[in-house]
Amino acid sequence: MENAGYLLAAFTIIWAVVFGYMLLLFNRQRSLRREINSLRDALKEKEPNSR
Amino acid sequence: MRFWHKAIAITWKDTLSEIRTREIIFSVLVFTLLVIVIFNFAFGTSQEMMALVAPGMLWVTFAFAGVLSLNRSFILEKEEGCLEGLMVSPISREAIYVGKMLGSLLFMLIIEAIALPIFAFLFNLPILSLQIVIITVLTTVGFVAVGTLFSALAVNTKAREMVLSILFLPIVAPIIICAVKASDSALSGEPWSSLFPWLRIIGAFDAIFLVVSFLIFAYVIEE
Amino acid sequence: MKETGIFRNTLLGLSFILFVGALYLIFVYVPTEEGMGIVQRIFYFHVPVAWIAFLAFFIVFLGSIMYLWKRESKWDVIASSSAEVGVIFTTLVLITGSIWAKPIWGAWWTWDARLTTALILWLIYIAYLLVRSYATHEQQAARFAAIVGIVGFVDVPIVALAITLWRTQHPSPVIFQGGLAPPMLLTLLVCLAAFTTLYSLLLIQRASIKNAEGEVGKLKELCS
Repeated sequence: MENAGYLLAAFTIIWAVVFGYMLLLFNRQRSLRREINSLRDALKEKEPNSR
Repeated sequence: MRFWHKAIAITWKDTLSEIRTREIIFSVLVFTLLVIVIFNFAFGTSQEMMALVAPGMLWVTFAFAGVLSLNRSFILEKEEGCLEGLMVSPISREAIYVGKMLGSLLFMLIIEAIALPIFAFLFNLPILSLQIVIITVLTTVGFVAVGTLFSALAVNTKAREMVLSILFLPIVAPIIICAVKASDSALSGEPWSSLFPWLRIIGAFDAIFLVVSFLIFAYVIEE
Repeated sequence: MKETGIFRNTLLGLSFILFVGALYLIFVYVPTEEGMGIVQRIFYFHVPVAWIAFLAFFIVFLGSIMYLWKRESKWDVIASSSAEVGVIFTTLVLITGSIWAKPIWGAWWTWDARLTTALILWLIYIAYLLVRSYATHEQQAARFAAIVGIVGFVDVPIVALAITLWRTQHPSPVIFQGGLAPPMLLTLLVCLAAFTTLYSLLLIQRASIKNAEGEVGKLKELCS
């Protein structure tokens, strides 16, 4: 069990990086979806006026 | 034949303008000398150290000089609006590539032809051998094959000089490795057979990237 | 959007299951390797991550060719997303390789042939990502990146060859050699499957974000 620290470090880093990246992606996705919906609503409101 | 006429015309244009201004060759030559001298200070001057470090020093110097010279070549085109002129003319993009590439090749070979004797002088090493010359020529062809493509690309971006170094150096890393190892063998007086594995890789690199860059060049300068 | 949602959730579930299985195999099932002790288990993540990084860059290569040919932005989205995931995975290869090297060989970095090749690859694809940010407009960024994506991938075998030849001159600590016993092979394959699923998930996720950003841009133009 001598080098257990290294083993743990390696796996922890992999998890941290992958999880962190996935978290970033999911959050970005969520905020983008919100933005798209609000833009779409704003566009719908404009349409009756511009006709 | 028309193709080669046009390509050589571009090479000749570059050569003429270089003869008149001597811009590229002088500045890159001075840079090369400075790098050699600075490396000297960095590594000390004992004979054993020289023998150890010379191949690496040689190729680091040529790699950076190459980036400089390639950069200058296309920056001049861009600044004078020459690139647009070339593109509007009935010269194919491929001919432009070959023309610029041969021009850069010529300039780099001239610089290397001057730098190598200086190296031989400063380091007291048998640098002026046929082996070293062959290695240098082969590697330089590889440099300009990829370098012409990338410098045309870099010149159109926001951070020109940096972009070329960032792109170019990792891509040519393999032939720099081979050139250094081959030069090391050559300087130790080893026979041609020990050079062949390295030269084969450099040759393959040259062949592959001459073709690839030739085919892709049109995509760089379309606008 | 709905179908991709289901597909994505399936991938997520599948990769979760595969990773749980992989962890069991790595830490409970597989016997400890004699030479290196338990640190050797890093191998079961380190190697698949390296293979997937290579796969990612292959996808960058294909996407780049398709983009230059068809000029449809979806190809550029695939290429750039794959490059980003590939760079992350290559970074993990370098980090885990380093962590593995330290207890075994006493140094963080030993210029081992495979790690050095990974380093050059890392630099090439960092350049891919940087070129995008240095271009002056979107289409140019996509076009220039595609060129780097193609040239970079063509260079990969030459880099591997040159560095391997370079290292055989001075045999250095090799990360792993020798054959694979069946239990090790099984563990390795399961981990490979897990990371392939993960890569697909990350690729799809990153690509859909790029598409969404494109849509936001278009909608903003319509609104103003």
